[in-house]
Amino acid sequence: MSARDRILGRVREALSERTAVEHPGSFEGWRPAAPALPVDGLAHLLEAAGGEIVRQPNVDAAAAWLASFCADFGSSAVGETVPEPLRPPLPAGAPDTAPLGVSLARGAVAETGSLIMDARDGRRAQLLVPTHVVFVRTRDVYVTLREALIELADDLPSAIGFHSGPSKSADIGQILVKGVHGPGRLVAVLMGDGD
Amino acid sequence: MSFTGPGNYREEAAKTIRDKPEVRTSITAATRAFDAHRVHAWGQIDADRWRDWARDVKSHVLGHLDEYLEQAEEQLTANGARVHWAETAEDALAILGDIVREHGVESAVKAKSMLSEELGVNAHLESLGVHVRETDLGEYIIQLLGQPPSHIVGPAIHLSVDDCRRLFHERLGTPLDAEPDELAGAARDALRAEFLAADLGISGGNFLAADTGTVALIENEGNIRLSTSLPRIHVACVGIEKLVPKLEDVSGFLQLTARAATGQPIGNFVSLIQGPRKNDEVDGPEEVHVVLVDNGRTKLLADDAAWEALRCVRCGACLNICPVYRQTGGHAYGWTYSGPIGAIIAPAMLGLEEAMPLPYASSLCGACTDVCPVRIPIPELLVHWREKAVEQGLTPMTETMGLKAYAKLAQKPDLFAAAGSVLRHVPLELGGRALPVLAGWMQERSAPKSSKKSFLQMWKEGIE
Repeated sequence: MSARDRILGRVREALSERTAVEHPGSFEGWRPAAPALPVDGLAHLLEAAGGEIVRQPNVDAAAAWLASFCADFGSSAVGETVPEPLRPPLPAGAPDTAPLGVSLARGAVAETGSLIMDARDGRRAQLLVPTHVVFVRTRDVYVTLREALIELADDLPSAIGFHSGPSKSADIGQILVKGVHGPGRLVAVLMGDGD
Repeated sequence: MSFTGPGNYREEAAKTIRDKPEVRTSITAATRAFDAHRVHAWGQIDADRWRDWARDVKSHVLGHLDEYLEQAEEQLTANGARVHWAETAEDALAILGDIVREHGVESAVKAKSMLSEELGVNAHLESLGVHVRETDLGEYIIQLLGQPPSHIVGPAIHLSVDDCRRLFHERLGTPLDAEPDELAGAARDALRAEFLAADLGISGGNFLAADTGTVALIENEGNIRLSTSLPRIHVACVGIEKLVPKLEDVSGFLQLTARAATGQPIGNFVSLIQGPRKNDEVDGPEEVHVVLVDNGRTKLLADDAAWEALRCVRCGACLNICPVYRQTGGHAYGWTYSGPIGAIIAPAMLGLEEAMPLPYASSLCGACTDVCPVRIPIPELLVHWREKAVEQGLTPMTETMGLKAYAKLAQKPDLFAAAGSVLRHVPLELGGRALPVLAGWMQERSAPKSSKKSFLQMWKEGIE
C-alpha cells in the first residue's frame, strides 16, 4: 500500500462516524456599508496600501503620461502582453537590472484593491524591478474577488499574482519599510475607454 | 537554539520572564499592534457572518477530506504538477531529498512556511549539502541568529530594532545606528543574489483549491512570489487540512485571514499557483511539486472533539490576544506552533505525553476563541486535553486524588462544610506547598489570609 492510500485510509476511518457539514454556499463579502464605485474602491484601497494611482481617460492619454513618467529612468523591462502604445520609449533592460518594469494587468479587484498579474505577461518584470508601473483597463475591474476568481478559473496560466500594494515588511521592530524584495513603488494606471 | 519539545515549558517561560524582560516588551507591543489592526479591520465587515461562513466551509472540507484530496491531486496532475504524499516528516524530507539529488540542487530559497519549520526542512537540506536561505525578512533574521520562529505570522517579533541593528552590523556590515530602511535594503541586496542563483524554491501553502488544483499563498514582501517564480524547481509543502473545495472559496479565506492576521484587506502579494510554466509563458519554474503532508493531522482528524482545530488558517490572532503568550512569546512552548492553537494541536500531533504541559498553558479566559476567524472552540479543547491527561495519569497523582476528593466532598454538604472549616485554619502558603495544584499558582502570587467565617456562615448571619 502506498503512503497515499494509507493517508486516505486514515482519513476515511476518522470520518466514518462523523456527521458531515454542508458547504454554506458562496462567499458574499458581507459588509455593513455599501461599496464605492468599483474604480474608486480599487483606487482607495491601493493608495491606502501604499500604491500610487494615475487615472487616464484612454490609452493615448496613458501613453503620453508614460512618456513623461519614464524620462527619469534609463531602461525598462516590459511585460509580454503590454500593447505597443504602452511600451516605454526606453532601451530594453533585463528585469534584474532595469530600474523600471511595465506590465499590463489582466484585470483588477475593487473589493481588495488588487491588480491581477498573469504569468503570461512575464513574472520577472513584475517582481524584480524597484518601480513597477501596471496598466489596467477600468472595464476589467471586478467588484469582488470571488467574481474575479470565477472568471479566472476558466483560463488559468501557471500562476497568477494579486498585487495590492508595494513590497513591505514590519519584521524589524514592527516598523514599516517598503521595497523589501519586490517593487517598493507600485504605480497603477487606470485607463478608461473614452476618446 | 532549536526546539527541544514542550516538556520544559514552565521552566523556559519562567526563564524568559526573569532573564529576558525585553522579550516580553517586544512581544506584548507587537501582539497588541496586530490585534488592534484586526479589531479595526473586522469593524469594516460583518465579521460574524464571515467567520460563520469560514467555519462551515472548513468543517465541510474536513468532513469530505478524502474526496477533496483526490480531486486536488487529479487536478494538479492535469496542470502538470507532480503530487507526493508524506505520512511523516521523514517521508516529506525523503521526497525533498530525492528532488535535490535528481536535479543536482546546490542552493534553495525558502518562502516563510510553518510546515517547513515543523518538518525540519532547513537542517535536512543542509545535511545534504544544499545551501538554504530563508527569504522572508523576519525568517532571514532568525536564521542568521540560529533561532526558531516565535510567532506564526511575525517570526522575529521577540527582537527589538536594536537587536536587528547589532545582528546586521555583524553580518552585513551596516552601521550600528542604521534605520530599519537601511537594514532592509542590506537584506534585499544580500538576498537578491541568492534568489537569482537558487535552483530550488520551497514554499508552504495557505490554501489548496481542489477544483482547479491551485496553491494559494499570502505575503507582503514579494519573497514568496520570487521563491516560486525564479528557481527552475518549486516545491510546495502543504498540510492535508489546507484544502478548500473551489477557487472561488479562496476569495473569502484570503480576505478573512489577512484581516485576522494583520488587519489588511488582503496581503500585498497573493500567489495562485497551478503548476509549472506553460508553453506560452516566458518564465516560471519548469517543475512544480506539491507534497501533501499528514504528519499527525489524521490523528487530529480522528479525535471527535479536537478535529475542529484543523480548521486553523494560521493567522496568529489567538497568539496576539492571549495573555499567557504575551508574557513570553513562542520559544518557551518548545515546538513550532505556540500559543493557544499550538496547545490544542500538540497533543494529537506530538502525542499527549510529549505535549504536556501545554494544555495547561492557559487561564481558559476564552479570548482566543472570541477572535478565531474559523471559530475553533479553543478553551473547550484545552479542557478536553486536560481531561485526557487526567484519564491517562499524566497529571501528578496528588492532583488527581485531590480532584477526586473534592468531587466527593462537593456532593455532601455536611462533609464539605467540615472540610472547609479545617482548611480555613491552614495558612495558604502551607497548603500551596502540600497541593501541587496550588503550587504553580502560588509561585507568582502571595496568599490572602483566610476568613475566620465561611461564606455560608456569613450568608446565614446576613452579609452587609
